[in-house]
Amino acid sequence: MAMIEVENLTKQYRDRVAIDALNFKIEDGEIVGFLGPNGAGKSTTMKILTGFMPATSGKARVAGFDIFEQPLEAKRRIGYLPETPPLYPELTVRGYLKYVSELKGVPRAKVKSEIDRVAQGTGIIPELDRLTGVLSKGYRQRVGIAQAMLGDPALLILDEPTEGLDPRQRREVLELIKGLAGKHTVVLSTHILAEVKAICQKVLIIHRGKIVANDTMANITGGKETGLEDKFIQLTAE
Amino acid sequence: MRTIFAITKKELTSYLTTPWAWVVFTAMSFLSSIFFIALLVSFKQVHDEVRDIPGGWSQLPPDYQDFRNLTDGVVVNLWGTMLVLTLFIAPFLSMRLFAEERRNKTFELLMTTPIRPYEIVLGKYFGALGIVVCTLGVTIVFPIMLSVLGSSESGSALEWRTVMMGYFALLLWGATNMAIGMFISSTTESQMVAALISFAVALAWMLLKQVAPGAPEPFRSVLNYLAFDTQLANLVKGVLDVKPLVFFGSVIALFLLLTHRSIEAQRWT
Repeated sequence: MAMIEVENLTKQYRDRVAIDALNFKIEDGEIVGFLGPNGAGKSTTMKILTGFMPATSGKARVAGFDIFEQPLEAKRRIGYLPETPPLYPELTVRGYLKYVSELKGVPRAKVKSEIDRVAQGTGIIPELDRLTGVLSKGYRQRVGIAQAMLGDPALLILDEPTEGLDPRQRREVLELIKGLAGKHTVVLSTHILAEVKAICQKVLIIHRGKIVANDTMANITGGKETGLEDKFIQLTAE
Repeated sequence: MRTIFAITKKELTSYLTTPWAWVVFTAMSFLSSIFFIALLVSFKQVHDEVRDIPGGWSQLPPDYQDFRNLTDGVVVNLWGTMLVLTLFIAPFLSMRLFAEERRNKTFELLMTTPIRPYEIVLGKYFGALGIVVCTLGVTIVFPIMLSVLGSSESGSALEWRTVMMGYFALLLWGATNMAIGMFISSTTESQMVAALISFAVALAWMLLKQVAPGAPEPFRSVLNYLAFDTQLANLVKGVLDVKPLVFFGSVIALFLLLTHRSIEAQRWT
């Protein structure tokens, strides 16, 4: 089954076209790298898929639910990490995760075990009782990922999940995402091609609001070590 | 229901774990105490004057008559002053409601979790109500003090029915200010801008009555009717009337609806 189906998705800001008639499908259980130069339309696409903003035209379905027509059903199946982790500095990590669980409608009896599960997965257990406002960038990012994982959504949309992390944290987060393969569908955007190579089975490259590549990792690299870089630079040339 | 309650609880936590609400509580207590003391002093002055006049109260001009008892002389006047203080202080409480979500980028979280916009609006508004009731709540201590320590020729020192009606008017006024402030906060990312505009709107609305005499009919009657001042005048003196209740209920409902439209609309920009 297709987890995400996008048809002719277009977003226009006044006189600027951010994304132009995108068409793609993402299958259940895939980990997909969403690549493109700055300003190519990655974040815009993610914001539309998560129901944060509507498209100008076109359709997007998540797990079979139209994001515009049945937003609640679609949103129940999505965990989303925006570009900036959406934290409330005055809440503790535990208080914050509890609040997000309530917003997501996690059953009351399960809230505690859910918080433990995502905190375990993202390695933030020692920080649970600190205020999110005093956390380091790496921990803020991890709390952001933990928040997205609450309620065990089938689809995770992560906008630059490794941004601001040091190399060790990067590796840990990537391992974490890799571990989600099969059970979850993950769409992640990043600038670091090595990360994509390490964990993604599929690659979508977007340039100036258009999809320029949509293929499996093996086909894109053609087996070469620098295949992904070469392809990226070639496809996103002026 | 559960999400509304969760949002309300989070709002109250946010207010009470940051110093801001405590600063507002302190300012409110401090300013209202000063006004209370000032009113007591003038109350005492009038009574001292009356004692020296042979004819007593009947010899004094009508605007002195309010000072005959503690209820009208002190409490009702205090509520009147508190209405103006609320006008200044409520914007500082309401400004963060939505502006802060947008500044922190947490608005995206609210809009991408499976909740409906009306749940966000109600959750936040109930939180705002809670905090404004706390802020104004401290002032009930003044009538309590008067009724414990004061005395009157006709038994009870205060007429509690009048006092409570006025207090209710004050809370209703606070609730109205928070609804207006919440809407304005939902239209901007800057808390300072939100506070300033909320204050300007509420003050101008309060003072509509002052411009009314210059306007031709039927605008004069409409302006007079719409002015917050007109609607509050009797309520704060303890006169129970359904009209102002309906009026403020409608203003609150209108601004909750506007907030709802405003957060829906933001997704389209």
